[in-house]
Amino acid sequence: MAAALAVAGVLFAKRALFLWRLVRKAKPTERFDDIPGRVENEVTIVLGQKKLFQRLLPGVMHALIFWGFIVLLPTIVMALVGAVNRDWSFPWLGAQGWFMALVDVFILSVLTGIVMAVWIRKVVRPRRFDGSHLGEADLILALIALVVLTLLGWHASRIAAGMNEWPAGASFLSNWVSGAIPFPRVSERFFNWAHVLVILTFLVYLPYSKHLHIATAAINVFFSRTRNRGRLEPLRFDVPDDEMRLGVNTIEQLTWKEMVDSFSCTECGRCQDVCPAYNTGELQPIVGNGVPEEMVWDCVTCGACVHECPVSIEHIDHIVDLRRDLVMMQSSFPQEAESMLRDVERIGNPWGKPQGDRASWAEDLGVRVLEEGEEPPEILYWVGCAAAYDERARVAAESTVKLLQKAGVDFAILGARESCTGDPARRMGNEYVFQAYAEQNVATLNDARVTKIVASCPHCLNSLGKEYPDFGGQYEVMHHTQLLAELVRDGMLSPARGESEITYHDSCYLARHNDVRDEPRELVAAVGKPVEMPRNGKRTFCCGAGGAHMWMEERGTPINEERVREASETGAETLAVACPFCTVMLDDGVRSMGKQLRVVDVSTLLVESMED
Amino acid sequence: MSVALFFEANDELSAQALTLAQSLGEVRAFSFEGPYAPAAWASALIDAAGDDDIVGPGSERGNEVLAHVAAQLDLPFAANVTDVRGDEVTRQRWGGTLLEEARIHAPRKLLTAAPFAFAPSDSLLQAETLRPDVSGAVQVTEHIAPDTGGKVSLADAKVVVSGGRGVGSSEGFAILEELAALLDGAVGCSRVVTSAGWRPHTDQVGQTGTKVSPDLYIACGISGATQHIAGCKGAKKVLAINADPEATIFAHADYAVVGDLHEVVPAITAELKKVKG
Repeated sequence: MAAALAVAGVLFAKRALFLWRLVRKAKPTERFDDIPGRVENEVTIVLGQKKLFQRLLPGVMHALIFWGFIVLLPTIVMALVGAVNRDWSFPWLGAQGWFMALVDVFILSVLTGIVMAVWIRKVVRPRRFDGSHLGEADLILALIALVVLTLLGWHASRIAAGMNEWPAGASFLSNWVSGAIPFPRVSERFFNWAHVLVILTFLVYLPYSKHLHIATAAINVFFSRTRNRGRLEPLRFDVPDDEMRLGVNTIEQLTWKEMVDSFSCTECGRCQDVCPAYNTGELQPIVGNGVPEEMVWDCVTCGACVHECPVSIEHIDHIVDLRRDLVMMQSSFPQEAESMLRDVERIGNPWGKPQGDRASWAEDLGVRVLEEGEEPPEILYWVGCAAAYDERARVAAESTVKLLQKAGVDFAILGARESCTGDPARRMGNEYVFQAYAEQNVATLNDARVTKIVASCPHCLNSLGKEYPDFGGQYEVMHHTQLLAELVRDGMLSPARGESEITYHDSCYLARHNDVRDEPRELVAAVGKPVEMPRNGKRTFCCGAGGAHMWMEERGTPINEERVREASETGAETLAVACPFCTVMLDDGVRSMGKQLRVVDVSTLLVESMED
Repeated sequence: MSVALFFEANDELSAQALTLAQSLGEVRAFSFEGPYAPAAWASALIDAAGDDDIVGPGSERGNEVLAHVAAQLDLPFAANVTDVRGDEVTRQRWGGTLLEEARIHAPRKLLTAAPFAFAPSDSLLQAETLRPDVSGAVQVTEHIAPDTGGKVSLADAKVVVSGGRGVGSSEGFAILEELAALLDGAVGCSRVVTSAGWRPHTDQVGQTGTKVSPDLYIACGISGATQHIAGCKGAKKVLAINADPEATIFAHADYAVVGDLHEVVPAITAELKKVKG
């Protein structure tokens, strides 16, 4: 026994030490804030299996096995000591009938879970397993089955041999099996040792396999983002050269959270199952691959994978860190994005339009442009480059302005003093340019004594609200749909409800990264009949423009057409949006597919409902 | 105090560099013969210059040769300088968007003159010709122009005839090809067209395609999305042909025809043929 323990212990410790050293060598990241939020995640995501239950059947399967093993933990100790001293009994607990009944319940639940898992893997065979190490999974399932079957055999033998300290009747399953046990005292030894050896084998195999998640997932969940999900961690340029990190090129450049991410993956494939790029045929499987360079550029940073991942891996951090290295260190990125990066850097918007034309859309609308030194308005309307320069996106800004004026809101725009927030550059990996704009915009906003901002563009909203605090900008930032919903609730705006069916497309940066889902729906319900698409809310499907993809070419089936197909299948006449990039992408998709859908911003629907 | 000048050619930029050099002292100019080999040219320039400051034009070659000079001498080099005051210089950074004040910590100055920051000098100059030994040095042996299949390239064309969704099919581009050929121009298209597979991506004009700056851009059946306009905003004149009077392309057009391009384009072609005889 001591020898078996020692061998297993040393083999396990050797590998565990190796992994621990990798984590120690990794780069720092701040993950110790918001402890209550972290504990809450631990309770809901780990103990409650919340993210696993996003898919019912696999969720139930996993929960049966997971909860089973929590209860079965004391039996491991019982078996380890029992192998050396067959007469030993776990103090108190070992004699409790209710506990042994519980053990049998969970043996049954684990076995049910395994049957379900085998059924999912061998019969259902979902596409999400493409690329996954399937043989390894089979071995792991077999080991789990052996763990509980040997436990069952051991308990049954003890009952058959009359060695049970607990009332035999309580263990309904073991008691039933005990009738079939030959040579009870020999079997008792056999199953006890078999159980112990299977567990020790598993222990050694664990850190070399994708099953390592049973040790690391709980840690990974604890250190995952609890708030500010849309925020990317800023790179520090003011530190000594040897501490400076400009993205990721080698494994030592990962942050320790990214390192633990990589230890936690079980290759369940849920990430690729929801990935817009993968699903429109642009990618090789995410699972089971290193990250080829083209995969790095196919990502739209929509966050569907992050939301889906049961062990809270934060894929976007990895993708953006890889991009940062490619852009800032190697200057290697899709050529067509070059002009966007250059124009953001030199002119302050991604299309290279003159800065002086920024407020020309508002010229005839009587909008106050906040000049230097003037008293700040109650709310600053941050227009964003898209609404300022793009004819289709501009409609939403015009509608928003009309509604704010109608409701008597005290607001102003910055005009030519506004510039790109730097978001597309940051998502492309050019952190230098982003930080230059963050500092410049924060200086402008702070000088203007702005406290409250309403933004039309979810990408601006994310930068202003979630990322600018890192650069000294603390503002209350809301989306125009949030402000408009508030005005409707307060009776400042009175839309008339129409009969037309409207399906609302959630923008990733609004619904997933910033938790704005209800207010746009309130507005849609106020003007028409809402119809939901299958993928909605937190599990929305990207329009294809995120992560600077507005300025890159796409491979495979266009993502926007996939989304338009889904929208048109609802039968709605109107596809409501709340993001300028979704507006352009989906309108392009409707045109190229020849659909009869009207793509329109929620604010414009509101204006129309209040006309005449 | 004398100054060595890398005299690239009898051109505007070299004449501007001469103005800068003359402001620093008496100028000795050196020009080069033989194949372009930046490292070898730099070595020869160093030998010829002695301990003098070295100035070059802010051209690609000027900056490259001076960079080699600096590397070989292990001295700092200020490129694209707009002003020199003692050991302080003002130089352009970030493609000319920033001006930086810098101090040169070195016994001698290595500078190039920012293009069009100095008036060209009209003094006549006798440049000494250097013929450095370039055997064994990295040198330019051949210039290969991109193969455009004998046609005018999209990026350089003086006239671009571009088609969008309104063209309807890849065959529909025949009338655009004809008009473009008549005007010695190139054919472009919008993203929709390449997505539909009617034209190759190399023909795409726009944010993620080629940026064109022709004298005349003829947009046929193109709605005028911002992404497309970003690719043709360098055009001097835009003629838009579109059946939809509400199309945004008209907001960017100097000339507009509201009508079916399948009628309008052949009509223009016919008229041009008449005029050309």
